[in-house]
Amino acid sequence: MAKKGDFAVVGHDQPRLDGAHKLTGRSLFTDDVVLPGMLHAKVVRSPHAHARILHIDISAALALPGVKAVVTHADAPNLYVGIEQPLFRHEIVNYIGDEVAAVAALDEATAAAAAALIKVDYEPLPALYSIEEALEPDALLIHAKARGNIAWQLAQDLGDVEQGFATSARVRTDHYTTNASHNCYAEFHVAIADWSLPDKLSMYTPTQTAILFQKSLASALRLSDGQVRIMNLNTGGGFTGRTSVRPHHFIAAVLSRKTGRPVKLRATADEEFIACRAGGEVKYTFRTGVSETGRIKAFEADITFDTGAYVESQMIVLTLTSSYIHSLYKIEAARYLGRLVHTNNIPYYFHHGGGLAQMAFGLGQHMDALARELGMDPIDFHLLNGVTKGHTSMTGTFFGSCGLAECITKTAKQAGWKRKYGKLPPLKGIGIGVGAMASGAKGVFKHDTSAAFIKIVDDGSMSLFVGLPDMGQSSHTAMAMIAAEVLGARPTDITVISGDTDIVPLDVGALIQRGTFNTGNAVKAAALDARKQLEVLAAARLGVKPAQLVFRDRQVYPKGQPDKAIPLKKIVYDTLHSREGRFVMGRGFYNSPKESGTMAYSFGAQIAEVSIDPDTGFVTVERIVASHDVGRAINPRIVEGQIDGQVFSGMSQVLYEQTLLENGQVMNPSRLDYRLPRSYEMPEVEHIIVESIDPFGPFGAKEVGEGPIVCTLPAVANAVANALGEPVNEMPITPWKILQILGRRAKTGA
Amino acid sequence: MSRQLITLIVNGDRHQVPVAPHDTLLDVIRDQVGLTGTKRGCTSGACGVCTVQGEDGRAVLSCLALAIEWDERPVTTIEGVASEDELHPVQKAFLEYGAVQCGACTPGLIMTAKALLDQNPDPDEEAINEALAGALCRCTGHIKVKIAVREAIKVVAASTAAEGGQGG
Amino acid sequence: MQLPPFEYHRPASLDEALATLDRIGNDAAVLGGGTDLLINLKLRLERPAALLSVRELPELAGVSVDAAGTLRIGAGERLTDLATHPLILARHPGLAQAIRAVGSQHVRNMATLGGNLCLPTRCWYTNQSENWRGSQIPCWKTEGQVCHVIKTAPNCRAIHSADSVPALITLDARVLLRSSRGERELRLADFYRDDGIENNALLPGELITAVLIPPGRARSVFVKAAARTGLDYGYATLAGALTGSNRAPKSLLLVAGSVGTVPLLLHKPAQIILAQGLTEASIEAAADAAREDLGEVTNLFTPPGYKKRLVRGLVRRVLNDLRRQKLPDAD
Repeated sequence: MAKKGDFAVVGHDQPRLDGAHKLTGRSLFTDDVVLPGMLHAKVVRSPHAHARILHIDISAALALPGVKAVVTHADAPNLYVGIEQPLFRHEIVNYIGDEVAAVAALDEATAAAAAALIKVDYEPLPALYSIEEALEPDALLIHAKARGNIAWQLAQDLGDVEQGFATSARVRTDHYTTNASHNCYAEFHVAIADWSLPDKLSMYTPTQTAILFQKSLASALRLSDGQVRIMNLNTGGGFTGRTSVRPHHFIAAVLSRKTGRPVKLRATADEEFIACRAGGEVKYTFRTGVSETGRIKAFEADITFDTGAYVESQMIVLTLTSSYIHSLYKIEAARYLGRLVHTNNIPYYFHHGGGLAQMAFGLGQHMDALARELGMDPIDFHLLNGVTKGHTSMTGTFFGSCGLAECITKTAKQAGWKRKYGKLPPLKGIGIGVGAMASGAKGVFKHDTSAAFIKIVDDGSMSLFVGLPDMGQSSHTAMAMIAAEVLGARPTDITVISGDTDIVPLDVGALIQRGTFNTGNAVKAAALDARKQLEVLAAARLGVKPAQLVFRDRQVYPKGQPDKAIPLKKIVYDTLHSREGRFVMGRGFYNSPKESGTMAYSFGAQIAEVSIDPDTGFVTVERIVASHDVGRAINPRIVEGQIDGQVFSGMSQVLYEQTLLENGQVMNPSRLDYRLPRSYEMPEVEHIIVESIDPFGPFGAKEVGEGPIVCTLPAVANAVANALGEPVNEMPITPWKILQILGRRAKTGA
Repeated sequence: MSRQLITLIVNGDRHQVPVAPHDTLLDVIRDQVGLTGTKRGCTSGACGVCTVQGEDGRAVLSCLALAIEWDERPVTTIEGVASEDELHPVQKAFLEYGAVQCGACTPGLIMTAKALLDQNPDPDEEAINEALAGALCRCTGHIKVKIAVREAIKVVAASTAAEGGQGG
Repeated sequence: MQLPPFEYHRPASLDEALATLDRIGNDAAVLGGGTDLLINLKLRLERPAALLSVRELPELAGVSVDAAGTLRIGAGERLTDLATHPLILARHPGLAQAIRAVGSQHVRNMATLGGNLCLPTRCWYTNQSENWRGSQIPCWKTEGQVCHVIKTAPNCRAIHSADSVPALITLDARVLLRSSRGERELRLADFYRDDGIENNALLPGELITAVLIPPGRARSVFVKAAARTGLDYGYATLAGALTGSNRAPKSLLLVAGSVGTVPLLLHKPAQIILAQGLTEASIEAAADAAREDLGEVTNLFTPPGYKKRLVRGLVRRVLNDLRRQKLPDAD
C-alpha cells in the first residue's frame, strides 16, 4: 500500500487554487455578469395555494414604458418543466408561488412594477396542506392522474421479510417526522439566458451538473444538446439543491427568445424558498427485528413524503433510501414501502443530505433505541451489525474498502465514550451517529461517465479540462492535485478549465458524491495519457524503459536516480518542438464497470456532546468528534472543511432549521427568520481521517461530500435524547419541545 | 427621478457618480463603480455578504446604506484589501486554513474579519464570535473561518510587535 | 429587494430638521441608521415620500453626565459606541448588555439608539414582501380588520422587540422629545402604547433627541433568549435592575420584552423579592409567579405556552445574575 510519503502532491495540504481570486473579490458569480442589452425579469406567482385562473390581463404591464415582453402560458403552451408541470399555469394553480406569468424590462424596478400590473383573477379552491388531509378517502384530487393524491409509490421486499421478523427475538417500531428545510446557499438562484439568436441558447447559472441542465433545457425547448451552452462561472453552494433545472431557467430562456436580448432572472429573498423547492414534511416508520444477541434479522422502512404540488426529486430519494441501510448494516431481509403524496404545499426538492441525512435523523435514533432496549452499548450494536471489507450486500454491492469499524472505535476513544456514556450529569448528553455514503453511483444515465483532457504547453504549464463543477468543495484543486501527482507537476502549474459546456468534456457532474471518484479517475487517466506522450522522449534521453521513469516535483528521472533528472518543462518543450511535431494532450475517461450501483462507499462515525439549558430549552452542541473513512484524503485540510460544513448543516437541521408552512405559505422566507446557526453556536470539530485506500478510487480516494452529514444528524439527536432521557422524534428539535418535556417531567416527578 | 452627483471614495479612488436618493451603497458600488466583489445577498442585513468598511474602519452593510449619505466618505471594499502583490493577513489565513469554499460569502467575511482586526488587534473568542455573527457561511459552518481569524490575529500581532521593536 | 423612490433631506441642525418635519409632515420618515427603516421600505411596509436623515445633527450626539448625575445619551449615538461606552459599562451593565443584544455588530455599527426606541413592532404576517402579503387577508397593520395571531384581538398585537427598551425602563429612563412647538420629557415606560401600529407617543413633527437616565446605583442585568446569539429577534428578553442588598433590596424592576406589543413590567416576582430578599427559594418563587403578570402573550414565531415557560426561566436567570453582580461603582 502506498504511504503518504510516497506521494509528492496527494495527501498534502494544498490551498484551493482559486482561493486568491475568491478572497480578493475577483471571482465572478452569475449575478456579477452584465451582458450588452441585458434585460431583467420578474415572475408573477400565484398567491393562492389552490385556485382556478379565470382571467389574466397583461395589457397594463405591456403598456408600461421599459417593458419589453410579458409571457404567459400562451407563449409556452407545450413547455413542461416537470412531470405534470407546464412552465406557466393557465387553468389551475397548485401552490403559493406557482408561476403564472413573467416580465422582462430594462431594469429590475420596472420589471417589478410591471409584474404588479398583471391582473390575474382567481377563483380560490379548497386546498390540502398536509399528508393526512391529502390521504383522506374523500380528499380532492390535486392531479387527476395521481389517484388518492399518491403520485408514486414503492413496495419492495428483499429476502424473506416475514420470516425475518417471525424469527426475531425482539422487534421494535418507531415513528419519526422531519420538517421541510431549505438549502440556504450564499448565492441566490439566478440565471442569465441569452437566446437572442434562435439556434443557440447560452445560459449563465450556478449548477452542480451542467450536462443535466444542458440536456433538460435542450429537450424541453426542442433544441439539440449542442445548441445549449451552460456556463457556471462559480457556484455559490450546492448542497444537492442545484442538481436540476427549475422554472426560472426556462423563464429566462423564453423571455430572451421573445425579446431577442439577454435576460437575467434572480430570485428575491422569499422566492428563494420557492425556487429552491423548500417544502416537504416526511414521515418515517422504522421496524427492526433483532436476534437475542442484537443482530439485525429484518428491517422495514415505511416512508411518506409530502411531495407538494409537483413531483421533483423524491422518486430518487425513495430509491436511494431503499438501498441506504445495506450500505451501513449487514441485513438479511428488508422491506421498503414508500409513497409520494401531493398537497398544495411547495414541492419538495433535495435538501443538504439528499434525503438520506434526513432519514438518518430517525434511523440513527431508532437503532440507538433498539440497542438500549437490548441493554447494549450502541457502539457494540453498530460494530456487530456494521458492514465490513469484503462484504457483498443483498443489493449486490461489494465493499472493496470499509473503515466503518475503525471510524467507530477511533471516534469513541477520542470522545471518551466509555467514560461518559450513561455517566453524564442531568441535561448533558452524548450520542453517536454512524453512516455510509455511496461514492459515485450509476443511475442518472446508462453510463456514469466523467471525461477529462489535459494540454501541456512549452513552459510545462498545463490546462486541465473537466466538466465537474466546483461548488466550494474544492474539487478543481483535487483534480489538479491528481493530475500533478501523475505528471510530476505542482498543482499550481495547472489551470483547471471548467464551467462551459462548449469547452469541457462530458461529466455527469457534482452529484451522488461522484466527483473525486469518477472525475478523479478520468483525470488520472488523462494525466497518464499525457505522461505517455512525454515518456517517449524522456525514455530515449535517459536511456531507460518508460516504465522505469519517475515524474516528480517538476523533474523526470530513472527510478532511484534523481541525480539524472531532466526538468519536466525541458521534456515538454523538446517533445512539442520535435521535428515530427508532436503534441502533448492527454485524454481520460471513466465509467464504472458496474451495470448499476456504486463502486465504493465511504463510512463515518460522529460523537456529539450536548447540554440543555433548563431555563430556555436551548441545546448547545459542545463538541463533535468526527471520524471519516474517505479512502484516501487527497487534500486533508479540505477534507476537514467538508466535514465541518456538514457538521454545521447536520446540527443546524436537527436543532434550528425549518421551512415553516402555514396554509401553504412559507412563514419565514428570509435569511433572518429561517434560522441557521452562526459563529457563536458552532463548536470545534475534531477530525479523525481514516484512510481505507479503496482499490478502485483514484489513489484510493472515495468521497467526503455527503458522508459526514448522515452521521451528524443521528449523533446530535441521540445526544439530545441522552441528555433528556427520552428521544424527540420530530426534527427540528426545538426549545419548546424540550421545555415541554422538562415541564411534564417536573410535574410527574420523573 | 432627480439624481445628484456625489463623490464616492472607493479604495482611495474618487468616483463621481449620479445617484438617486433610494440607490443603496451596494448597488452603486456594483453597478456604477463596477466593483462586483461586494456581493448582493439577502439585501436586508441578515447575511453579511455585502459588508464594506466605512471611514472609521467598521463593518457596514452596504445593502442598508444609502449611497447619497456616502458623498466624500471613504469606503473600503474587498478589492481594496490586498496590496498590489500581497494578500492581507486575513486573506492569507483564510486561504491557508481552508476558510474559503464556495466563495459567495467570502468577501463579506473577509471585510468583517478585517474590520474586527482594524478595531481590535487582539480580540478574544467572544469578540470574534460577535463580529462574525453578522455574516452567514453555510459551506464552512464558520468553523475554519474562526480558526483563520485566530491565526490572522497572531500574524498581525507578531508584525505589530516587530514594527514596534524596530521603532524602539 | 429594492427601495422605492423617495426624497431625501439632510438638515444640518435640529431646528432645520424640525422645520423640515413640519413642512413635509406625516409623509416623512426619520432616517437614523436605516437598518430597520430601509428593510421596511424594501418590504413596502412604509411608504414615506421623504426621508429625513438625522445623522449629522450635533444635537443628537454625545454621552454625558450633568451636575445632578443624570446620564444623557444622544438619540443619534450608534449602538456600537454605546455598548462599549465606559460610562454605560460602569454604571449600567444591564443596559450595555441590552444594547449589545440588538442585531449583529454590523447592524449596531449603523443603528442608532433613537432608531431602536422607535423600532416598529414586528409580525410574520406583515414583515414580508408585498407579494407575500398578497397571499394573506389584510390584518390591522395592513389596513384590514383582523389580527392573524390573536383572532379576537381588537387591534394589532405585533411584537415589540427593541432590546434596549426593557433595560432602559428598569433604569427609569426618560426620553426627551423635541418639536418646533418645544420640548417635552416622558418616562420611557409611558412612551409605548399597547397597539402594534401606533406603538408610541411620538406626535407628528416630533423627534427623540436624547435619553436621560437618573442617577442612582443599581445592579442591572439583561438576558435575551434567542435561537442564535448574534442577529436574531428574541423569543423573550428580560431586564432587571435592583437597588439595595440581597438581604434587603430597596427596589427591583423587572421588564420583559418580545412577549407582546409593549414591554411588560413583571410586578409579582418583584414583590416577592422585595418582601423576601434574594435567596434561592425566593428566586424560585418569583420565577413561578411571573406567569401571573404575563396575561395574553403574543405567540408569534413560537407555539403557545413556550413564552410563559421561557419567561419563568429568564426571571430565574436574571435574579440569579443580579444576586451575583457587584454593585457598580459610584457615579
